[in-house]
Amino acid sequence: MRTGWMAVIGTFGLAAGCATDGIATHRLPAATPAADVADAIQKADAVARAKQQVKSEQATGEAPPPLTPADAPPITTYDPFERVNRFTYRFNARFDAAIFLPVANGYGRLPSPLRTGVHNFFDNLREIDTMVNYTIQGRLGRGVRSFGRFVINSTIGIGGLFDFATRLHVIAVPTGFGTTLASWGLHPGPYLIIPLLGPSTLREGVGLLGDYGLSYGVNIANLYRDDQSYALGVVDAVDQRSQVSFRYYSTGSPFEYDNIRFLYVRKLLIQDAALHEHAVPERPRSDQPAGK
Amino acid sequence: MSAWDYTHEHCELKSAIMHRRRAAAAVVTALCLSSLCLSSLCLSSGEARAAGFATAPSGDSVGSATGLAGPATGLAGPATGLAGPATGLAGPAGLRATVFGTPPEDIAPMPAAVPLLEIDAKMPWALQTPTVLWFDRQLRVWFSAQPHPAPLAIVIAGTGADGNAASVATLRGALYGAGYHVLTFPSPTFPRFIVSTSRTGVAGDLQQDGEDLYDAMVRIVRHLPHHPEITAIDVLGYSLGAAHAGIVKSIDARKGELHIRRAVMIEPPVSLFASMARLDALFLSSIGTGEAGIERLYERLFAQLANFYRAANSLQIDQSDILGAATAVLTTDQEFSAAIALTFRLDLMNVFFAGDLYAKTGVLFNPGSPPRVGQPLDAIERRLRATPFSAYLDRVFFPYYLAHRPHATRASLVADNRLDIIRDELQTNQDYYVQTNRDDLILDAEELDWLKRTLGSRIVVYDHGGHLGNLGGRAQIADMLAMLAGQWHGNAP
Repeated sequence: MRTGWMAVIGTFGLAAGCATDGIATHRLPAATPAADVADAIQKADAVARAKQQVKSEQATGEAPPPLTPADAPPITTYDPFERVNRFTYRFNARFDAAIFLPVANGYGRLPSPLRTGVHNFFDNLREIDTMVNYTIQGRLGRGVRSFGRFVINSTIGIGGLFDFATRLHVIAVPTGFGTTLASWGLHPGPYLIIPLLGPSTLREGVGLLGDYGLSYGVNIANLYRDDQSYALGVVDAVDQRSQVSFRYYSTGSPFEYDNIRFLYVRKLLIQDAALHEHAVPERPRSDQPAGK
Repeated sequence: MSAWDYTHEHCELKSAIMHRRRAAAAVVTALCLSSLCLSSLCLSSGEARAAGFATAPSGDSVGSATGLAGPATGLAGPATGLAGPATGLAGPAGLRATVFGTPPEDIAPMPAAVPLLEIDAKMPWALQTPTVLWFDRQLRVWFSAQPHPAPLAIVIAGTGADGNAASVATLRGALYGAGYHVLTFPSPTFPRFIVSTSRTGVAGDLQQDGEDLYDAMVRIVRHLPHHPEITAIDVLGYSLGAAHAGIVKSIDARKGELHIRRAVMIEPPVSLFASMARLDALFLSSIGTGEAGIERLYERLFAQLANFYRAANSLQIDQSDILGAATAVLTTDQEFSAAIALTFRLDLMNVFFAGDLYAKTGVLFNPGSPPRVGQPLDAIERRLRATPFSAYLDRVFFPYYLAHRPHATRASLVADNRLDIIRDELQTNQDYYVQTNRDDLILDAEELDWLKRTLGSRIVVYDHGGHLGNLGGRAQIADMLAMLAGQWHGNAP
């Protein structure tokens, strides 16, 4: 009995880090500076190509009508549920620190090929949702590309474990039901912190439900309606978390909530503006906060 | 009820429960599954901040490491030494380098993997944590241990940055690759440091911040996990952290608890307050005063970034890269200046907030009713965005230190925040080294001369780099490692 309790206490002790003298240590997945530099070179290359594209479009007059500063949404953000959102943000931070992140860090120490396989597998499943959403958005070319990726990766890529499509330069450009709603002209709506998940807006939240509904409806290989489906969901969530470097309160700033709200909604609005490539989006009203 | 009915009903009930449980679990996990919202935050922090949009999750940026200093605000005018342009020694190329940083292809060779331990530590001398900053209760540092006996390099981050910021990570990679144990500290101007470790809560005083930092280093080095064998201790820092590295070594000479061997100071300010005065002036000239200037800048950058993203949308590339590349849309000197000045301002906001809270100076809120957890802070944030560093000095820093430091005057406080306070050590002790750039925006010609005269052969001055625009580059890293190893034989060009 005593041994059992010792084991329980020891386990919790380990989970909470080894605390002595008010000093606790947590082992993180190893940093990978060489790979980070290679990644930065690749990103810089993508940006350079984009810049080139902008230049050539401007030169040939193919550029969409440009947005002007007057088209920018107001600097304030629509957040009618702010008090609840701030509470949920704190809850998420504690959940993340106590459970989600330690588990994701443990997962991050598994061999890289295994993690890449898991990640590719879930990404491949998401292609179905991407394909359907591109189709209903009327962007058929992208839908076909997504379908192509799914077929290539599900076959040559052995059920999606390997991402051969990217090697063949058919790269992933995921979309979801939230973006579909945006393409139908829906505004982001009120800012929303979703329990466990984090920053979103009402539209994006509905989008997530739509995406899940679609996966549940299609239920490929009975992965979504089986008794053990939630275990699969947990693995996916942990894999996703291990890919995201965000840490709650890592800025240490009292304004972190405000800053993330600002960034998140502006990012959505920039993506929304890009959905209507050949028209200037509706000019925002200066008396209404961004997102409304 | 027959046995069959019972069994049937039981099975149905079980199935319903199973179904409900599955549905609930599935909704939760599938939400995670379909798109973890956090991953949507790929507008990466440093880049976003450089574009002047907001503070960064990771707390580091090009312009952030700029030295805490104050404007010429009438505070002992000549003592701040603000003369010449707001951009210091930086011309257009220096500004560009400051914003874009070292091109990734020029980064020094890095190791494939560096082990990482995160250490959270409570400091016994910590002040009471304000409830609104509950999340900053413990100091957080990062440690990478070699599997064999090795020297320990302690890295101190620049203004407003934490010990895991991008610039720190670059130095960590290079140092670990060269065989050092590496321990990385946040800047004493990083909010978590102010709350967890500062004895005053009022950041920006070189000596006081240095003392707090030194004591925290002693405590953490003594409690390093698994007791790695340390053959020597070196200390280094960039920007404001460079000044702290120098101060920490001089404190160690007095207290003798760590026996620090060498200090390498990467692009330090000479006068903290003069460097800051330049950044205030830069803000004024590139953005203007008040919230209106910031809103104009925001609207311009939003439109530019949206246009860039729209045009790039047709490319077959990973679009998160595009949106992360907020700096890509900056083109003019004024925009570079604005990005640098605003990035710095965003760091200052945290310093000001904490300082006013601890010093009870009542600038932002009534000391009797400090902000509560969960209280919206938009109004305070808007106000602070438009507040220069001079206001922090005039309304928080000077009142606090004049009240708490016997015989202090404004002029003496300004003088205490120059590297002059360790001039003798810098001049005579052969274990201090400096790396800087001829076009650094936090220095003027006189300050650069002062560094060259004081350090003699122990300084290297690169022709280009702006402020930190060559950190992690091949030359900077090679020279830094030679300096740390005591094998530097170069001379100021």
